[in-house]
Amino acid sequence: MSLPIRYSLRNAIVRWRSTIATVLGIALVVFVFVLLQSLAAGIEKSSGNTGDPRNVLVVRKGATAESASLISRENFRDLQYFSEIARTAGGQPVISADVLVLVNLPRRNHGGEANVLLRGVTPRGMELRPQVHLVAGRWFTPGKREIVVSAKLARRFANFDIGQSFKSGSATLTVVGWLDGGGSAFDSECWLDADECRSIFERDMYSSFLIRPRDNAAATNLIRRIESDPRFKLKAEREVDYYRQQTMTAAPIKWLGDFLAVMMSIGAVFAAMNTMYAAVGARTREIGTLRVLGFRRRAVVTALLIEGGFLAFIGGALGCLLAYHWNGYTTATMGVETFSEIVFQFRVTARLVMEGLLFAVVVGLIGTLLPAVRAARLPVIGALKSV
Amino acid sequence: MSIPGFVLRNAFRNKRRLALSVSSVAASLFLLVTLQVALRELTNPINDEGSSLRIIVRNKVSLAQPLPARQLQVLERIPGIVAVTPFTFYGGLYKGDEKFTSFAQFAVDPPRTLPLITDAKVPADQLKAWLADRTSCIVGKMTADRYGLKVGDHMRFTGQVYPCNLDLKIAGIYHGTADDRNLFFHHKYLDESLGNPGTVGAWWVRAASVAEAPLVTDRINKAFANSSAEVRAESERAFVLGFVSMWANIKTLIGGISIVVVFALLLVTVSTMSMAIRERFRELAILKAIGFRRRELFAFILAESFGLAMLGAILGAGGAWALFHSLNIQKLTNGLFIMFEVTTRMLGLAFSVAALLALLAALAPMINIARTSVVEGLRTLD
Repeated sequence: MSLPIRYSLRNAIVRWRSTIATVLGIALVVFVFVLLQSLAAGIEKSSGNTGDPRNVLVVRKGATAESASLISRENFRDLQYFSEIARTAGGQPVISADVLVLVNLPRRNHGGEANVLLRGVTPRGMELRPQVHLVAGRWFTPGKREIVVSAKLARRFANFDIGQSFKSGSATLTVVGWLDGGGSAFDSECWLDADECRSIFERDMYSSFLIRPRDNAAATNLIRRIESDPRFKLKAEREVDYYRQQTMTAAPIKWLGDFLAVMMSIGAVFAAMNTMYAAVGARTREIGTLRVLGFRRRAVVTALLIEGGFLAFIGGALGCLLAYHWNGYTTATMGVETFSEIVFQFRVTARLVMEGLLFAVVVGLIGTLLPAVRAARLPVIGALKSV
Repeated sequence: MSIPGFVLRNAFRNKRRLALSVSSVAASLFLLVTLQVALRELTNPINDEGSSLRIIVRNKVSLAQPLPARQLQVLERIPGIVAVTPFTFYGGLYKGDEKFTSFAQFAVDPPRTLPLITDAKVPADQLKAWLADRTSCIVGKMTADRYGLKVGDHMRFTGQVYPCNLDLKIAGIYHGTADDRNLFFHHKYLDESLGNPGTVGAWWVRAASVAEAPLVTDRINKAFANSSAEVRAESERAFVLGFVSMWANIKTLIGGISIVVVFALLLVTVSTMSMAIRERFRELAILKAIGFRRRELFAFILAESFGLAMLGAILGAGGAWALFHSLNIQKLTNGLFIMFEVTTRMLGLAFSVAALLALLAALAPMINIARTSVVEGLRTLD
């Protein structure tokens, strides 16, 4: 016969004074774990959210990112006649040759400097990226030294308010609008006219091509054709696939989250163990009585395990709740691939919450196991006699 | 029985509890010290004489924007400069590595570079071979060991930043610098592979003295002001600190998280320790009944609490010191961490935290014992 679950739950709550520290301890362990993992999830989500599945992105073979890619104008001339590329009503190929430049700019409030990714973009390139829209001001005028910055970057960098201007290279760029990338990697970019960008930064080459193939089959063909053409040293892949891989920044954060969780859980297991030993110690006579009444050892162990697991579960839930407070909060760091500031949001996903809770319960169960076994091994008569 | 003997006996009576309490103190302090060491290493670059003497000159736009090679003539005429070399981060992916190469490859002008890498020890014949062969390189001992490379081997790279692949022959292996991972090769070779674009990634400059270094930096910045390629010159240390600043919120976040981590562990530890004392509440009441004064009881509690905390601190912080001291961290973390040094200040911090812990843990039982009457104390069951 097993003990009613209520016995375990009520026992866990009745000794709240001594258990509260354990619960809080476990809560903080789970908090740290979930928070760091939600950061990594945010980076992955922002990357995974970028691009149009119909588009194909072309960069130089070997380049880790668009910003480190250089493609010659000959390549552009050759490529635009490929029959796989969709045509506009006027017969123009739907292809955008962009130029990406890293610019070192000061943060707001004298917070040091960081690299910002500028994208010199063509009107076609803007059509191919419908995720990006204007939230304030207006778009840049081609042929003018105007720039539209990401609204999320604008909150972080000096001189990024509409109407302000900043100097880079030989040119002074005036901010005329704010863009929003809808939670994609474009939230970490500033856009200006492609030709203007190439002249300011003296770029003879292009960084990347964004192409809209005629249809899905044409896309597959196009990728194969570009990759195998000996004239090009180019890498073609679907835009969404390219961005999905830009998540190297997340790896060390994940690692740190795991490392801290493991290290901290050692302390948490000790705490849970101590709490449960104390619980068992204080209830020696009660446990003896239960045994006399006919409850088996197994039942006593189970009841105590439920008690410990329940405590840890409360801690885990509290930790997730704390972490959830940060959900959606925008933050930034340097992207490993782009070498520029990337903005993203904390993402406390359902999966992370499950992992956090599971982790807490495991810590609780490990901490309870030894005390529970000790309780089960108590000699019945001795236990009854104890004070 | 003497009083210290009494305290000691008491502490060792419940050995399991003692072990659990001491290990949780030790675990938390170990983590505290480890986080401190890692944060210091990541945010505070090596500060030796060389890193203030050497200056890095990059394009003002950003590091990714090249500089014209003709700037060399101007730089050479600036007073206070002892040596200057092109310094281009090639950023190649070494054959066999999937995504990430663990060391940097720099294209330099070898004869001009020697005054900049004076602490690198290379056998004279290897150095000579490097200077003589345009397609050769010298590589740090850490990298050579990691990939099992020896003099005469070829290294093949896929250019990630530059559109060219390189095949470099190892002429020599050096050691003795602050970071024995980097590879140096001939800038001429890179130029040829790229079709002589007439640009460099950055300049590497050595100032005549540490005192003159800031002046040299100023002179370089002024020399190119309002030119088509304005530069930013800064000491190597300031340059590395610039990278640290780019980590932005993550840095603050990790700092904040280490505080949460320490707090969580303190919480757990305080409760563990005060539980050990609370367990003997009845005994303390008996001691009170037989005439011990409050002051003496406080002393018992504090002595035990401090003993526990200090033992934990010695095991945790001292253990961290001994561990990081004896391990080859550089090799273990693939060069992510190089020094991983536990400073006296960190040990001081760990021990102060332990003392605070002891005080906090003793506080609740002390207040209790002071407040409770003997009769009440004797009646306590828990």
